[in-house]
Amino acid sequence: MNNKTVIISCAGIGSRLGRNMPKALVPVDGKPMIIRTLELLDNVNDVRVVVGYQAEKVIEVVNSYRRDVTFVFNHDYLNNGTGASVSLAMQYAKEFILTIDGDIIIHPSDMEEILKMNTEFVGVCEIGTDNPVLTKVKDNKVIAFSREKGEFEWTGVTLLKTKRVNKTEGHVYFMIEPLLPLDYKLIRLKEIDTPNDYEMALKWVKNNYR
Amino acid sequence: MKKIFLFDLDSTITKEEILPSISKSINKEDEMRKLTEMTMMGEISFEESFKSRVDMLKDIPVSEVAEKISNISLNQELVKFLNKHKDICYIVTGNLDVWIDKLMKKIGMENNYFCSKASVSNNKITKISKILQKDEVVAKFKDYIVAIGDGSNDYKLLEKANLGVAFGGVRNIAPSLLEVCDYAIYDEKRLAEFLERLIEE
Ligand SMILES: [Mg+2]
Repeated sequence: MNNKTVIISCAGIGSRLGRNMPKALVPVDGKPMIIRTLELLDNVNDVRVVVGYQAEKVIEVVNSYRRDVTFVFNHDYLNNGTGASVSLAMQYAKEFILTIDGDIIIHPSDMEEILKMNTEFVGVCEIGTDNPVLTKVKDNKVIAFSREKGEFEWTGVTLLKTKRVNKTEGHVYFMIEPLLPLDYKLIRLKEIDTPNDYEMALKWVKNNYR
Repeated sequence: MKKIFLFDLDSTITKEEILPSISKSINKEDEMRKLTEMTMMGEISFEESFKSRVDMLKDIPVSEVAEKISNISLNQELVKFLNKHKDICYIVTGNLDVWIDKLMKKIGMENNYFCSKASVSNNKITKISKILQKDEVVAKFKDYIVAIGDGSNDYKLLEKANLGVAFGGVRNIAPSLLEVCDYAIYDEKRLAEFLERLIEE
């Protein structure tokens, strides 16, 4: 498990949700999303949280759960994307990087499985959000990302060999495209971009992830 | 490219601010701590505050101060790192040479530190001859500089370094430092591990 650096991107503003806080700090059923993710990562020693918008608040909340997280600063978060955050955080990482967005909730048993994996994969889910990035699949592999069509929605969760990844300023999937085709893994998770997503995620969590 | 590591001393290598802890012995702790806090938070200039803080302690024999400083408690994981990588590590501190030389020897950094300087006569400080501007140290090297610190007096040091790591294991990182650092780490062991990774690559 400790051949992985887990990168959680929490730098962005997430304005579509309409709260004055980083999305990772929004409580879902009484607990900030970032804490829900950290609870699943107790056995990972190299956890990196990328901060930007309201960095001090994110740091405070993370530190209240565990003190040994490495915070990576994306000072230019207003002008760049999650790919830039991951590019900063993957420097000096372990053999694999596992990328996770700060605004998602992952099914606990799926995270357990993910942490055991030792081959690269692209995490996908059933199509569910308003403006998804889709993945085209062929012979059990992801062969392309697309805004128009695809079988699954991309999740932002990816396990990659650190040495193979090139830096980007834009989306994380720009980093993955040159590495395709890659295996995919179906993950049960909720992404929270809008108030509607939030209500759905809250129900899901309260109903024991069903 | 070769990497050079520049470490702040107070609350980075040491587990407490040095001058306030010395001031305990002459019952000036409150005054000293207040001044130190204001300085670390960037409310008064380091230079001004350092002069008045040295002034407060100038009646204590220099050897006594040096002795006390050499016994201050330390972040052992970081001291281990310093000793293991002696050739590429330096201490960068505004503190006075005559006060910290004993401590520097104890942690194996006697030839690897940059600091302020004072003249001494009859075991008393007579004059501060130089106050170190921490960022001037960065320009002395042509290598890739990694700087580690916690206070607002480390702002320029971290800003000018190629890679700036803010350390919050002893006290809260100065808010200004969070604006220029590349990383913030609050756990001593994690910091030591991270610095080791920097050397490996
Ligand atoms: Mg300090």
